Amino acid sequence: MSNLPLTGIRVVDLSRVFAMPYCGAYLADLGAEVIKIDTHHAAFVDTTRTLNGPYPDNEPGEDYYNRAGTFQTLNRGKHSLTLDLRSDAALTVLKRLIGVSDVVLENFTPRVMRRFGLDYPNLKSHRPDLIMVSNTGYGQSGPWSDFGAMATALEPTHGTGAFMGYLEPNADGRLVPGSVPNKIANSYTDFLASWTAQLAVLASLFHRARTGQGMWIDLAMYQVGVSFVGEGLLDYAYNGRRTRRLGNRHEFMSPHGCYPCQGTDQWVVIAVRDDVEWRAFCDAIQQPALAVDSRFADPVTRHQHQDELDAIIGNWTSDKSSYDVTDLLQKRGVPAGPVLNAKQMLADPHLRTRGYFEPVEHTAESGLGHREYVGRGWKLSDAEIHIRKSAPLLGQDNHYVLSEVLGMGESEIEELQAASAIGQTLAGAATPASVPLDRQAELGWIVEYDPEYQRFLAEVENPKAS
Amino acid sequence: MTGAMTGILDGIRVLELGSQISAPFCGKLLADYGAAVIKVEPPDVGEEARRMGPFVGDDPHTDKSIPFLYLNTNKRGVTLDFGTRSGMKVLSGLIKQADILIQNFSPSTSEDLGLDFPSLKKINPQLIVTSITPFGQTGPYRNLAATDIVTYALSGLMYHSGDSDREPLRNALNQSFYVAGVNGAVATTAALFQRLATGTGQHVDVSVMECLASHLVQAVPYYNYMGATKGRRPVRGAGFEELMPAKDGYVIPSVQGSQPWSTVADLIGLEELQDPRFATGSGRIEHGQELNELLIKGLAQWDRKALFQASGERRLVFGMAQDAGDLYQCPHLRGRGFFAEVTHPVAGTANYPGMGTQLSGMSYQVGRPAPLLGQHNTEIFCDELGYSRQDLVQLRASGII
Repeated sequence: MSNLPLTGIRVVDLSRVFAMPYCGAYLADLGAEVIKIDTHHAAFVDTTRTLNGPYPDNEPGEDYYNRAGTFQTLNRGKHSLTLDLRSDAALTVLKRLIGVSDVVLENFTPRVMRRFGLDYPNLKSHRPDLIMVSNTGYGQSGPWSDFGAMATALEPTHGTGAFMGYLEPNADGRLVPGSVPNKIANSYTDFLASWTAQLAVLASLFHRARTGQGMWIDLAMYQVGVSFVGEGLLDYAYNGRRTRRLGNRHEFMSPHGCYPCQGTDQWVVIAVRDDVEWRAFCDAIQQPALAVDSRFADPVTRHQHQDELDAIIGNWTSDKSSYDVTDLLQKRGVPAGPVLNAKQMLADPHLRTRGYFEPVEHTAESGLGHREYVGRGWKLSDAEIHIRKSAPLLGQDNHYVLSEVLGMGESEIEELQAASAIGQTLAGAATPASVPLDRQAELGWIVEYDPEYQRFLAEVENPKAS
Repeated sequence: MTGAMTGILDGIRVLELGSQISAPFCGKLLADYGAAVIKVEPPDVGEEARRMGPFVGDDPHTDKSIPFLYLNTNKRGVTLDFGTRSGMKVLSGLIKQADILIQNFSPSTSEDLGLDFPSLKKINPQLIVTSITPFGQTGPYRNLAATDIVTYALSGLMYHSGDSDREPLRNALNQSFYVAGVNGAVATTAALFQRLATGTGQHVDVSVMECLASHLVQAVPYYNYMGATKGRRPVRGAGFEELMPAKDGYVIPSVQGSQPWSTVADLIGLEELQDPRFATGSGRIEHGQELNELLIKGLAQWDRKALFQASGERRLVFGMAQDAGDLYQCPHLRGRGFFAEVTHPVAGTANYPGMGTQLSGMSYQVGRPAPLLGQHNTEIFCDELGYSRQDLVQLRASGII
């Protein structure tokens, strides 16, 4: 434990949904003590406890709010303290806790934080060297500052859709850059905000260690998103270009695309960077005539004949598996890779070798058993960073935080409990209705489902046992 | 010194031996927080991003690559062929003075060049070495050939991008490498903080594929909690949180947030949308087809920006598709001081997009435009490493700088 970078750092995580909770989870992985400020009132609870699922075997169960897979991923390693912030006593507890903490994460609108007296200028009086991230859609200043936001709607707002979209046929039937924006999806902006917040917190901790100064980090998800497509804005500034939607093609590589493979919704991507790789490609697919075809002789003509080239390649890939195509091409140094879905990811030999997915053994009462979660994109040679424990049950650490962290007496804690300022069961909630998986497939929410998934996972996690 | 900045990583010295996007973006983020970044490029040709379009005025000139100009502000630049013995000796001098070295060579190239972690650690035990590669330092894919679309595909993210009735669609502007760059900066800064306690450097192994895979906080539990495979979103116009046509472009209506359905219906302004059948989530699913037709009709009456503004004022969370021109002129970003004016001696003057975060008491500055090739050779090799002008002439004659 002692070799973790953030051992001894305490984080109060007031945040909800995806971006900041995931930031808190990473700080916990790095060794910080992260206390999630939960609530036991349904109207105010973090909706990843109640709305996002997924639940084991699609069955929410009675304590569904402790059992959701996305919530578990985003809140692993944390403690849970439930506080009803409408109660003055609870608010006082929170301010005392912040007084003995190093970092606060929050994603309320500026209005809400001021109403509770939890805005940075106020909290700084409880902890002068506090580091706080205020994560909002549009930031603490500017004309859109009071607007709320969700990542799903933010993504095109910050411009990714200007730079991605399918090609469209022109009057001659040739494919040309598209006019319709598309999305990376998967709440893309939330993750950009999470990574950016982690960097800001770590750099601020370093700064505090050297200067003793705290920091208020105004993180506007919109602005973060724009900074990730900054190159596109600069192209407008210098050249007046507004959009670049090239489908799966590339400015200078060709062929460059995503091609159908054997199986349902299976695809492979291929990117040929230069003439050497082009000749290797023709050799790999055993079509030597292509290598001497004048339409494809050099990068410029290849680029002009991509419609023809893509048809030839799609025809070649369509009766092969995406992994087989990848093997054939990579053996000759040509960039290629299968388009993996989550099931394939979980079985992928590279991720397995690197121990990318991290196991958590859940408590018996949760009914979650053994589950694996996505790890992180990096490893440190001198610190064993991994998921420390499961996400907390609602209010699981009320006693620990109040008694051991804040030194409150038993009678004080009982008073909070009696006044329902703290609690362990979700009040006023209705168990979420679960939509049957065959209906979800019909609605297009999922592609398919595999009733034998447990057996599949047991085999990929422990190949020798099968 | 000109261009000196005060930032929270002030005084931290970074050597960037990277090319293209991932390592340079990592270096840029650290530079924007005040670290002193020296970019080391091959003599004569420079790093590969200098040959990546688009170019200013569509003129493919070494100092006019737009990705290069964007990714290398606030850095100083030198040229050095560290594949030679003399070049490596000069580089060792820089390594001894550095806190952080960022590179994105493949693992086998790092070893061939003597720039693998064990070799670097011998030169400077306090050095943090950050290696950003498509697949990481270990595992069967470690030396595979990759570009943005390949890591995007293998990460699992691409499977979910695009429309469900078409092929998966590539991301915007090489996002794989930007995501890897910021993750590299996170892990590097964690190592820097840890060094305050331990006094020693360490190796940071960043995998582009795994950085992106970490976005799958829904798709992975969908499979390992209930065996379901999540795919791409249903085709355009199939409901909320999707891009739908407005009068002058695309908008994203949203029912998320705390407001009731009546507020959403009232905003769009079509009387039929007030039908109580649409008031609940399950009702909207059941009558999805009909609702979509009404939405298309209602949204077609709106200009994007007017709808977005009206949504925000009603505490709804609609979005709109903006292009580069919209963003460059965005009154909100302008109002927040997001842009910084930069004058580059070859590319000219433009407003550059700034940082994602704003720190209390600090404003975003670009003290330096992206360096010209070898622009700071004399300053760094002579003034800081102690080589004489005559040494520099010899290094130049032998092609080392």
